[in-house]
Amino acid sequence: MRDGAGSVRALGASAALPAFALLVLMFAIYASRDASALTVFGFGNLINNAIVLAVAASGLTLVVLSGEFDLSGSGVVAIANVVVATTSTGRLGSLGSFAVVLVIGLAVGAINGCLVTVFGLQSLAVTIGSLIVCQGIALMILGAPGGDVADAIASGVTGDVGGIPIAAIIVLGVAAAWLVLKNTREGIGLYAVGDDEIAARLSGLDVRRTRFLAFTAAGLLYAVAGYLFSAEIGSGDPRISDSFLLYIFASVAIGGTSLTGGRGGVLGSLIGAGILTVMQKMLFALGVAEFYTNIFNGIIMVVAIFFGQIGPLLFRLGRPRAA
Amino acid sequence: MTTETEQAVQTAATRPHPAPKLRARLLHPDLVPAALVLVATVTLIVGLKLTIPGFGSLPQLTAILVTAIFLVVASFGQGLVILTGGIDLSIGTVIGIGGMIVANLTRGSDDMLLYALPMALLCCAGIGLVNGLGVAIARLPPFIMTLSSSIAFFGVALGMTAGSSQQSVAPALQRFVAGSWLGIPLPIVFIVLFALAAVLVQNRSPAGRQIYAIGSSPRAAAILGLPVAGLTVAVYTVSGLCSGIAGVLLAGYSSSATLDMGNALLMPTIAAVVIGGARVTGGAGLYVGTLAGALFLSTLSTAITALSLSQGLRSVIQGAVIILALLLQSRQGDRLTS
Amino acid sequence: MRNGKGLKTASIVAAAAGILAAAVPARAEEHYKVFLDMSYSGNSWQASAANGIKALASTPPYDKLVEFKTVISGTDVQHQISDLQSMIAAGANAIILYPLSPTALNRVIKQACAKKVLVFAYDSTVTEPCAYNVSNITARYGANTAQWMANQMGGKGEMVINHGVAGTTVTKVYDEQALGVFKRYPGIKIVGDFYGNWNDGTSQEEVAKILAAHPNIDGIWNVDGSYGALQAVMNGRPNRLVTIAGQSNNGYRLMIADPALQAKGLKGVSSSAGPAVGPYAFKVMMEVLTGKSKLDKHNIEYPLPWVEPQDVKVCSGETFAAGCNTFPAAKVAPLFLDTALNGDLVPELSIGAVQSGDATPGASIKPLPPVAYADDLPGVNCISCTAPADWLEPNHVKPIPVPN
Repeated sequence: MRDGAGSVRALGASAALPAFALLVLMFAIYASRDASALTVFGFGNLINNAIVLAVAASGLTLVVLSGEFDLSGSGVVAIANVVVATTSTGRLGSLGSFAVVLVIGLAVGAINGCLVTVFGLQSLAVTIGSLIVCQGIALMILGAPGGDVADAIASGVTGDVGGIPIAAIIVLGVAAAWLVLKNTREGIGLYAVGDDEIAARLSGLDVRRTRFLAFTAAGLLYAVAGYLFSAEIGSGDPRISDSFLLYIFASVAIGGTSLTGGRGGVLGSLIGAGILTVMQKMLFALGVAEFYTNIFNGIIMVVAIFFGQIGPLLFRLGRPRAA
Repeated sequence: MTTETEQAVQTAATRPHPAPKLRARLLHPDLVPAALVLVATVTLIVGLKLTIPGFGSLPQLTAILVTAIFLVVASFGQGLVILTGGIDLSIGTVIGIGGMIVANLTRGSDDMLLYALPMALLCCAGIGLVNGLGVAIARLPPFIMTLSSSIAFFGVALGMTAGSSQQSVAPALQRFVAGSWLGIPLPIVFIVLFALAAVLVQNRSPAGRQIYAIGSSPRAAAILGLPVAGLTVAVYTVSGLCSGIAGVLLAGYSSSATLDMGNALLMPTIAAVVIGGARVTGGAGLYVGTLAGALFLSTLSTAITALSLSQGLRSVIQGAVIILALLLQSRQGDRLTS
Repeated sequence: MRNGKGLKTASIVAAAAGILAAAVPARAEEHYKVFLDMSYSGNSWQASAANGIKALASTPPYDKLVEFKTVISGTDVQHQISDLQSMIAAGANAIILYPLSPTALNRVIKQACAKKVLVFAYDSTVTEPCAYNVSNITARYGANTAQWMANQMGGKGEMVINHGVAGTTVTKVYDEQALGVFKRYPGIKIVGDFYGNWNDGTSQEEVAKILAAHPNIDGIWNVDGSYGALQAVMNGRPNRLVTIAGQSNNGYRLMIADPALQAKGLKGVSSSAGPAVGPYAFKVMMEVLTGKSKLDKHNIEYPLPWVEPQDVKVCSGETFAAGCNTFPAAKVAPLFLDTALNGDLVPELSIGAVQSGDATPGASIKPLPPVAYADDLPGVNCISCTAPADWLEPNHVKPIPVPN
């Protein structure tokens, strides 16, 4: 059991390497065409663009690792955004609105987790339902774009400390937290449950608890993503995150996490979010315009997945059949 | 080798829904959700008929059925794909492309229809084929393969058409969608025939049974010698074809086509399939269930529209009712199978 | 092995970088670098607007003056933010965009203004004061069309409301205006409302379903999707048509002007936002960019298209010449938006231009009449400002008294 979990984790780490190579390659192409890429301004913009996707994808990764789906991400981002836009300049202030947003994220995650683990509903379907509900709630809170995000939030999140963008620090923080979590009981359990539910149960793991925690943590991270998103756009818009959902999933998959669970990790998803963000910059820098951008987007995503699969493939080839 | 087979078979057998054969003598367990969803649909109609005057009249039920046709057709493909444990996210784009091709080739006259129809359907099936090859041969995750191809083909279509058809659709298609036969609207006739064909393909043909086997356990299916790759490719191709048909019908209905007209149908196809009792992990689900799910969703959206609420509240209710439907279904399912 | 791969990757990067660096074209100095950022594509409205802009950019003398590039940012606001930042970094002189949100782009637009980039938003607006808005959102579509319908219906009847897209500023503003007008007439009863998402197919489906439940509806108020809505009535109740307000699809204009349909009770007005606002904004932007004109304010109103049945004039050619405003059915698809053209403000455009994005053969840029400035609407085109007191009232149509 231990061994099994160890090997799948190794698989996850090796899957992230080729994706990282792709990210570096794409960034190099972009930077070679656009000198501003390496300036604080250019890099700050890039990482500010990537961070929302990166944090949301990190949340989704936990759920996907445990072998479930979660489509509610963009819904939670929408609620978080309109809540920040309607409360952060009021009495709640920037920290108060952050707390409220976190509670909302936890609540949505817990409800999803509960519906999936206690009632045994299919996560893909349930979270379509909760996505629609969340979008509705966001519309009820803010009927049209507007509101105002406290300057403290906007400048705080998009600013920098000694030339290092805050967003970069957040990404590093998420990565560090993941590296710690991965080796805890919960982290190991996450892989075990997603890899083979029955084996995990037989070995005494609480499958339901693991999945419930994954959904709840995901909800929390979506809320954080929504908060960061609000900082970036400085206002509220109930519909603006609608198209966000598929990119969250694409980040996770490109980062080498298996959508059937048990393989991959948050580091990969951070890289995946980076790839999607840099891809756009690179295509622009290369002069790809109009509809060609769509075509290249599609093709690069497939290529990125190939890259993501090289790692596990090499691993599988080198692995004795009997194991 | 043998241990792997055993393991795979064991995994398949311990899935929440038992294999169809075991349950055949009682009530097919997959039929339970379908029946329940139909009951829910009827309850919804009756309930609203009592509260909202004018709701649920025969003409309105007919109108609901007619407008459900696009979802009914597209979700058959989605259902087959989900049956293999995959997912097709290209459905929205393919619907748009199907409609655009038929509009741009017929240019408002019936002369070219016999050429335009197969052309549109072939192209859509071709996109499905690409998806299938990506999933079955290149072993890409279906989620990403279909998402990527959807983005890429949207781009291709955008480049070729500038986003909207410059021509109206062949009048014959428009007449078909608006016409009726012996007082029954043709779309309803079409739905019935389509559903019959779908059930035959999915549940009465050898290929259909093999698809179930693949969904239950691809490895076991491969060991048994089933053409896993071929069938997977075929399933995605059929899904593309169904989206194409839905696109052609939608273009006929609205007498013109835009590239984005199918986007709103993607999520409902997944919801219809799952509400109808399919497992997203594959291997379980009947088309009858999907059909019931599609009718349920169409009725639900009409009912919510009839309530005249703010859009926010409409969404909240719609999402909550979907979750409720799933809850109801799983409770009943548990009771009947335990 | 891992090292080997790393080396290989590095060499590929180096090679790619070398090739790309060599391929950077030299830019002539007298050129203006102009970007079009489309937020969204895949429907006729957006395509027509973008094609109109592209066609003007390749119409003399702009074809020599402008280095023009189109970027499609899709529906994701982060995508749009990123693309706008790329445009600024690429040394844009001017950016014309369809903004996805009135507020979310403010930060990046401020970045653009700081780099002396001219930013023009068309149709949808932004609240960042350094950007220019060219739109008819302030032209009171909601109030005027609702009033026109109330007048035509004699202040009574069953009404259906087709809202548009929920959660957008346009929908909020127009709804508020239209519902305010209808509320003044107790005889007007709203029996159904739905969000047609500016889409003819959806509108047709929804009207078909409402009509089945309320067979006596008298009027349908739309922002867009009016052709679909009318189709639903023609299919479901072909002998008794409705009073209707909505878009400017060619098929719709032909129908409202058709005496046979009028005899069955069809009374329609064609208005709403026209895609020609995009090319018009581009022309205004080019005049500012080239220093030909100076604008006192940043909010410019595009005149509200307004065609009543008696105003429909069918064109014989490919352009809106001599005051015509509609094409024969054989020439364009029924969903073709006639307001993609504008004979007064953008006479350079033709059917071909707005369908393909190529310049009309032989056309050259005509001078613009003076611009009209728009009202302030807080949250729509400005932040700390006040709307005129009567911004919910019709200003194009005279109200009839409430019938007793």
